Amino acid sequence: MKFDRRFIFILIVLAVMIPLLFPIDLPVAITDETRAVYDRINVLDSNSVILMSFDHEASSLPEVRPLAEAVLTHCFQRDVKTVGLALFAEGTAIGYDILNDVAARYGKMYGIDYVYLGYRPQYSAAILGMGESIRGVFPADYDDTPYDSIPLLSGVRNYDDIDLVISVADGSLPTYWVEYAQARYGQKIIAALAAVMVTAYTPYVDAGQIDGLLGGLKGAAEYEKLLGQPAAATRRMDAQSLAHLSIAVLIVIGNIIAFAVRRGKRITEEGRS
Amino acid sequence: MSELGTWITALLTLAIYSFLYRDNPFYRAAEYLLIGLTVGYSLVISVKTVLWPGLIVPLVSGEVAKIIPLVLGGMMLIRLVPRLSSWSRIPLAVIVGAGAGVSIPAMLKARVLQQMGATISHALSLNGIIMLVGVIATILYFYFSREQKGLLQPIAKIGTYYMMVFFGATFGYTVMSRISLLIGRMEFLLGDWLHLVPR
Repeated sequence: MKFDRRFIFILIVLAVMIPLLFPIDLPVAITDETRAVYDRINVLDSNSVILMSFDHEASSLPEVRPLAEAVLTHCFQRDVKTVGLALFAEGTAIGYDILNDVAARYGKMYGIDYVYLGYRPQYSAAILGMGESIRGVFPADYDDTPYDSIPLLSGVRNYDDIDLVISVADGSLPTYWVEYAQARYGQKIIAALAAVMVTAYTPYVDAGQIDGLLGGLKGAAEYEKLLGQPAAATRRMDAQSLAHLSIAVLIVIGNIIAFAVRRGKRITEEGRS
Repeated sequence: MSELGTWITALLTLAIYSFLYRDNPFYRAAEYLLIGLTVGYSLVISVKTVLWPGLIVPLVSGEVAKIIPLVLGGMMLIRLVPRLSSWSRIPLAVIVGAGAGVSIPAMLKARVLQQMGATISHALSLNGIIMLVGVIATILYFYFSREQKGLLQPIAKIGTYYMMVFFGATFGYTVMSRISLLIGRMEFLLGDWLHLVPR
């Protein structure tokens, strides 16, 4: 029996498209992991400085942008000073765009409330170097303004002056933050990850090496709910849930058919013998 | 994004998704464009944010120490000349030596010692016991110096069950991740391009 797999593609597209056109507002339950990240950021204030690293490529933007926006929204609501940077070349302009976009919504001033340092290659060397001197790794910001001319950075020398590092990632970069910033300098780290990486980093959370973990669109939707500001992730969760349901149903149907076919073959073979 | 930019993005998205029907020239053109743009973008970012401010500007302003990375970098490129390609081993040796020196202690601490410590320190709770059994059983599954018979066989079997749970969870999260990307594209097509859903 041959089945054209393109019917499955059509089904998945419909499962995604229909809830986008006709939202059904399925509930989003908040997990302990997301609440822990929220609580961790909720104790920061205007004296705190966070470092947000955009450690992702452009291809994962639909997933990591809602994560970054949700966390940045919380930080700017609490007047937390934010330093952005990128350790993947592809994430450089995206990080700059996201940071400026969310900052503008809250009337934040560049150089005073937030700053973007840009990209550095060789992430292990960059992360290690910032433990000694952030200025040494980034002598100027993304717009070539010298480090010493930026008011926000006047008291920021190294990880001692950073309350929290948030790695927005779609790959293995948080491992390097753990190895070089957490293990060596004791820096607190939160990972906002594409869902595909969640299982790889859960052991680091259990071991206390990562302070909190936000996973995928679901994590972003939970965070938006905690903020009381439903946005992109919340809007997309109906489609996510229905697509998952469709895939689960397809897996069950596929298995039933596979069992039935196998049983039919066995009966036929027994009949012949 | 401008209207023209939206149209270009939408048409390229459709060109990429056309592969789901079958391979075709529109898909291949979009794929090549993506590869070219990615390489070009990375190159420009590297030159603008690394080579220019980190090497060229300091060299021009008289920082002679920057000649060392310049020479080492040049020796890497000499690989392209077959007669002199062995010179590239020197900068490679520097990279491998420095890389190993920096990463081995860091990896050992973060990926092995701290993980082992956490596994043992949680061993008195129910979750900790389940985790400890999983760690030991899975490690023993990968113990190849002895045939998996006798006591080793059931323990290794338990290890495979733990791994299946991990594979299942990872598959679930991978599906979630890929569907999120599809949703992002669909929302763009239906919202920014066709204006059928609010953004």
